[in-house]
Amino acid sequence: MGEKLGGVPAQGDGEMSAPSCRPKKVMMVPLDPVHDVGLKLIRRALSERGHEVVLLPPDLAPEEVVQKAEEIRPDCLLVSRTISYGTAELLARFLDLLDAAGLRDKMKVAVGGMSIRPELAQEMGFDAGFGPDATVEDAVAFVEDREFRGARARRRLSKPDLTSGFSYKFKDEEIGGLCHGIARELLSWARERTSPGVLRAEIREEMEKARAEGRLDEVSKLREEYARLTGDEILRFYREGTPVSHTRPLTASETRAFSDLEKRAGDGEDVVRPASADVMANRVVFVQYGTGCPLMDGYHILLSQSWGARGVVHFDPSWGARQEGLLEGAWSHQHDGTVITLENLKLIKKSVLPWTLWQVRAHRGLNTPETVVLAALAGADLTKVNMVYGSLAAGTDPERLCVDGVKCLELAARFGLPYDVVTNEELAGVPAAKAFAGMLVVMTAGILTGGRPILQPLFAHSPEAIIGGIMDEDFVDFNAAKIMVLRDIVDAPIWPGAPVGFLTQSQDRAQSSTMTALHAALALGLGAQAVTIASSDEAYAGGPIAGGSRVDSLKSVAAALRFFGKTKITPSPRAAALREKLREDILNTLKSAAAAGSFVGALYAGVFGSREDGAYPGRAGRGTVTKRS
Amino acid sequence: MSKARDRVLDALDVETFLLCDTREEGMELGLALMKELGFDDVDVVFCEQGGPGVRIRLRAYLSRPGSDYPWTGQYDAGEAKIGG
Repeated sequence: MGEKLGGVPAQGDGEMSAPSCRPKKVMMVPLDPVHDVGLKLIRRALSERGHEVVLLPPDLAPEEVVQKAEEIRPDCLLVSRTISYGTAELLARFLDLLDAAGLRDKMKVAVGGMSIRPELAQEMGFDAGFGPDATVEDAVAFVEDREFRGARARRRLSKPDLTSGFSYKFKDEEIGGLCHGIARELLSWARERTSPGVLRAEIREEMEKARAEGRLDEVSKLREEYARLTGDEILRFYREGTPVSHTRPLTASETRAFSDLEKRAGDGEDVVRPASADVMANRVVFVQYGTGCPLMDGYHILLSQSWGARGVVHFDPSWGARQEGLLEGAWSHQHDGTVITLENLKLIKKSVLPWTLWQVRAHRGLNTPETVVLAALAGADLTKVNMVYGSLAAGTDPERLCVDGVKCLELAARFGLPYDVVTNEELAGVPAAKAFAGMLVVMTAGILTGGRPILQPLFAHSPEAIIGGIMDEDFVDFNAAKIMVLRDIVDAPIWPGAPVGFLTQSQDRAQSSTMTALHAALALGLGAQAVTIASSDEAYAGGPIAGGSRVDSLKSVAAALRFFGKTKITPSPRAAALREKLREDILNTLKSAAAAGSFVGALYAGVFGSREDGAYPGRAGRGTVTKRS
Repeated sequence: MSKARDRVLDALDVETFLLCDTREEGMELGLALMKELGFDDVDVVFCEQGGPGVRIRLRAYLSRPGSDYPWTGQYDAGEAKIGG
């Protein structure tokens, strides 16, 4: 059920409870020249529930309807009115006639239809009015004398596990063998080394444990130790309490506002959900948040979940990846990205519903291992790791990020946090095959450390595709080839991102939402476990993403999923050729990396993305790696 | 929470079709329209010329992240900084 009576029927998975009342006699009639499909939907539902339903033909005069009501003597009379011309006069006259016939008090009378405003119907004297947003359940509940809360109906979903059922076995043994060899070398190299990022993660974990156990002297000692490992601005914060630029502490009123937010979220079951979101219930669609302010984020998260998001991704400021050390406390940031602190994360968590997957990303900077620690302590469900992207397209020194990244993999495994291995270096110009080769090595390292990685191919109009004309004809084949080749290679979960449709969206919200929706439907139609989408503000750079723009793209994705249903999208034969080419290039990249004898060395040498491609080994954290004693 | 505009979470968008001869003129008119409506922090999100004018989407930020939010007014008693 869940069908809307006006507008577009929605697919729902909610079942109505069995009728608790005796079977009712119901008379239904359209006060229109033609039938209203809504009445037929209600008739079907009522009949299935054992009620006796008489549906009169359209185009009857009110006098004829009243005469029929005298003959049938129903318990309930449901009339509909679709056209708006003269509606108020017609309905008023109809009620007068019912009253004059002595029938008004002998039956419940409701009116519904596209031209009905519920509050007006009740003012006129109807027992209920159902407008364009009413559902079949609303009408059935009215007949059965039950309270129906429509979109407010309590609803509980379960939290998805994106990694469930995957063996992580390589189907392509040649590629699998190379990935295992390279990953083993990476792990043994990294385990002999450490960095300020690794040490801070260890201190943070100890510090939070000591804090939780009330050992405050220990906290103070560890905090000082931590501060000694931080960079200039962060050190000033720990030593002098100086805020980092463009940040300010959350005010007390903002912090108190979180209790209102928490109340609105509740246990999630009473959150108002538009009917359009029903179709999203069994699909995992992530949205990214990171307005800069944890409170604003909370509202964006809550509204996104209402419109069907099943996962949310924390975006932190780009400077957070370039500075040694993380802040403490609750902070608002006046630019993009919300500062990662345990306090901020715990506040944000209040808006995350029990069945929503919450990802805190740790993939690219100088604080990656500590971010995994904080994510776990705050109760996140997922993190994000990829040393290749972080060191070739996000400014961190490859050697440093490999040491920190391996620590991330180990921490994520210990905390039971699955993570995606992102390939956004494609946006810098790295060909997909090279990015995939790097992703597969990191995934293998993750498997070898006991983790649950998730492959994250980029669904985008990437520089490689633009320059090479690969997507000139459509946006389907190349994206489909990416999924196909990964499925050929390994039995692992796939979560395209991030967000899908990158560089296809314009500032026009209709075009942007449509592109997002089609990419999401394509990914999910090709069997991906999840997808990350943008808001309709994706291509607008003039200001922060607005909450309403998140609704735009979520509604568009819901519409696309409703449209395609279980239909599979079949790419053109070109996709198979692209898949073959991808496989060949992945293999060649891995062969070159294996020949280099060192994963880190291969990163510097441009094997996984060269300067010519647009990838530049980062410099942040260079020279900070030391051998473990 | 005395005014409806205090309930705007972050931004208020105005979408319309403006009659004009060029895209630039349309953008100027759009920004002028937002000023006439009483908004200060305004921008053009989207503007495309076609036929007799432009399809335009204008935005006024009533609350930017990190600013003071009017919708937290009910919690304002006993204001104090607690971060850091």
